[in-house]
Amino acid sequence: MIHIEGVVKSFGAATVLDGVNLRIAPGEVVSILGASGSGKSTLIRCINGLEKLDRGTITVDGFNVADPAQLQQARRCSGTVFQLFNLYPHMTALQNIALAPVEVLKVPRREAEQQARELLASVGLADRADAFPAQLSGGQRQRVGICRALAMKPRYLLLDEVTSALDPEMTGEVLDILAKLAAGGTTMLFVTHEIEFARTISNRVAFLDQGRLLADLPTAEFFAADGGMAHPRITQFLTRLSKS
Amino acid sequence: MTFDPTILAPYLGDLAAGARLTALACALALAGGLALGVAVALMRTSASAPARRAADIYVDIFRNVPFIVQLFFLFYGLPEIGLELDAFSTGVLALSLAGGAFTSDTIRAGILAIEPGVLEAAQVSGLPRHVIYRRIVLPIALRTSVRPLGAVFVNLILTSSILSAITLNELTGAAKIVAADTFQPFEVYAVLLLAYVTLTYAVSLSAGALHRRLNRDRSMGNG
Amino acid sequence: MRYTDFTYNDILLLLQGLGVSAALFAVTTLIGLAIGLTWAVLRYYRVPLLAQFFAAVAELLKNSPVLVQLFLVFFGLPVLLETDITPVQAAVVTLSGNTAAFIYIIAVSAIESIGREQLETARVFGLSRWQTLRRVVAPQAAAFGLGPLTGLLVNQLQVTSLISVVGVLDLTRVGAILNLRTLKPFIVWAVVGLLYYLMAKLIAKSCARLETRLRAHTAWKGL
Repeated sequence: MIHIEGVVKSFGAATVLDGVNLRIAPGEVVSILGASGSGKSTLIRCINGLEKLDRGTITVDGFNVADPAQLQQARRCSGTVFQLFNLYPHMTALQNIALAPVEVLKVPRREAEQQARELLASVGLADRADAFPAQLSGGQRQRVGICRALAMKPRYLLLDEVTSALDPEMTGEVLDILAKLAAGGTTMLFVTHEIEFARTISNRVAFLDQGRLLADLPTAEFFAADGGMAHPRITQFLTRLSKS
Repeated sequence: MTFDPTILAPYLGDLAAGARLTALACALALAGGLALGVAVALMRTSASAPARRAADIYVDIFRNVPFIVQLFFLFYGLPEIGLELDAFSTGVLALSLAGGAFTSDTIRAGILAIEPGVLEAAQVSGLPRHVIYRRIVLPIALRTSVRPLGAVFVNLILTSSILSAITLNELTGAAKIVAADTFQPFEVYAVLLLAYVTLTYAVSLSAGALHRRLNRDRSMGNG
Repeated sequence: MRYTDFTYNDILLLLQGLGVSAALFAVTTLIGLAIGLTWAVLRYYRVPLLAQFFAAVAELLKNSPVLVQLFLVFFGLPVLLETDITPVQAAVVTLSGNTAAFIYIIAVSAIESIGREQLETARVFGLSRWQTLRRVVAPQAAAFGLGPLTGLLVNQLQVTSLISVVGVLDLTRVGAILNLRTLKPFIVWAVVGLLYYLMAKLIAKSCARLETRLRAHTAWKGL
């Protein structure tokens, strides 16, 4: 269970998260929607400890991310996939995926590489195991990024606008994989602009606006006229997005 | 006015011995300087302010004091505190210390040029700090620094000629003896000059080739 | 007072050595600037043959040890030209030439970083090559080149220490004399090192001040 309670985070004068409360239980697929600057990415970066909280607490399976001693364990429970992929440029796809299992989970290298190959095969990149990131397309890099996160067998998968840097065709490849993962029971928390995708695969939708959680509803309710859509800011956001 | 480089012919053996000594001293100094440079670069980019300060002071001193003064300080000073090193060892030590200051600049630049996102990905996968440095930061920084490190190596080779001032018979020291023997200093030193130029070109070209090889397929932008 | 102790006279000696080093640095820098900039201008005007010749000379001087250049001039030229040459003369010739080569390289690089379009635009407006050089190229090149120039000057100051090897009574030579007499290498070389360090910092600071003045001069002052 990820507990997010009363989280406040400011960057200088700007308050990006203003008292956010959220809970994510194992097995749930939760999408976070909102305008740019609403604090969505910051929330993910607080969960995996890349940003420090000003106020409030976040615990992942009971480990408090604000406590340096517990942060490592909290991080082991989750895996992050980034908008800009952030693959290690000097390592092959295979090595990217196998690094953390070998160094953190102490999995023997041969076993880690075998598992990495299986992961790559499941996303359709079996033949690119020995390619370097520079030799892969954006969509391929992101698929490797997903494998890298999954290799640590995380309980929660954090996805930060993972298709925003991809063109439509590559976006489709990646979304297919994410849909498969969701169907398979992986707990996912993702920040996205792909409304249709969010609607299709998530159980719950959370809407952030100017650092505040305006809605936290099951998907069907969120998109219903008498549910989330009843809120003027949400309707405004969704209509603007569907126009673009 | 005559120019007759053939008078050097009988001395090629001595000169070759000197060249070997230069090569050995510079290779050792490069290794030492690199190790030191990595350590100092890490200190300069560390979160600890005292570490940064100490490292900055070290670099500042070794870049603003002439090498020959550093060399004499060590050569005449170390025996006073009981450290009796021979000329070769003192020379390598002095070159390493100076080299460390210059390589730390290069490596530091290489470290700072790493995309922050890559480091974030490493952190969130739970990798401990020393593993991140060993498997991610240093390999990337060193790979991109090969050409500038080649320039530092060239600088080491040129600076090594100063070791002749503490009676080490590296290339320049050997040449001095030949010049005294033959009474033809112009030929000797002209050839010596060309020898160093050839050596530095060889190093620069190799550094370029090594850089290309290590970074083949690996350099990229995101997206 | 024992003979190996320091005396007040030693302070005078050090100051004298400092003065010699500073004077030689200043003189060779000025001569080097004049020669190097002339080379660069000749290249700008695309004078055939001369441009390539200077480029080759610059490469030679850049890629060989200054000590060897010094030996070539001090020991080699007298034999070649059948004339005598004093240590100071050799120092001036060598250091000026060496500085000139690096100034040339910096100037050429600075001129080249000015976009081609500016030169073409000036031409279209009817400016002569000289006017373009004076009004368009030189101010911008000076701004670009000041950074590398600062580094070069600090480096050339260190390089002056090598003239002690051929007998010039500069700061390093005074250090050697005091070291031999007092047998207190730590103190002697630390003080000598400190004096060079302070001079280097003085140069760096002066260049920084020059840079701000240059920037202020070319700053956009609004409509």
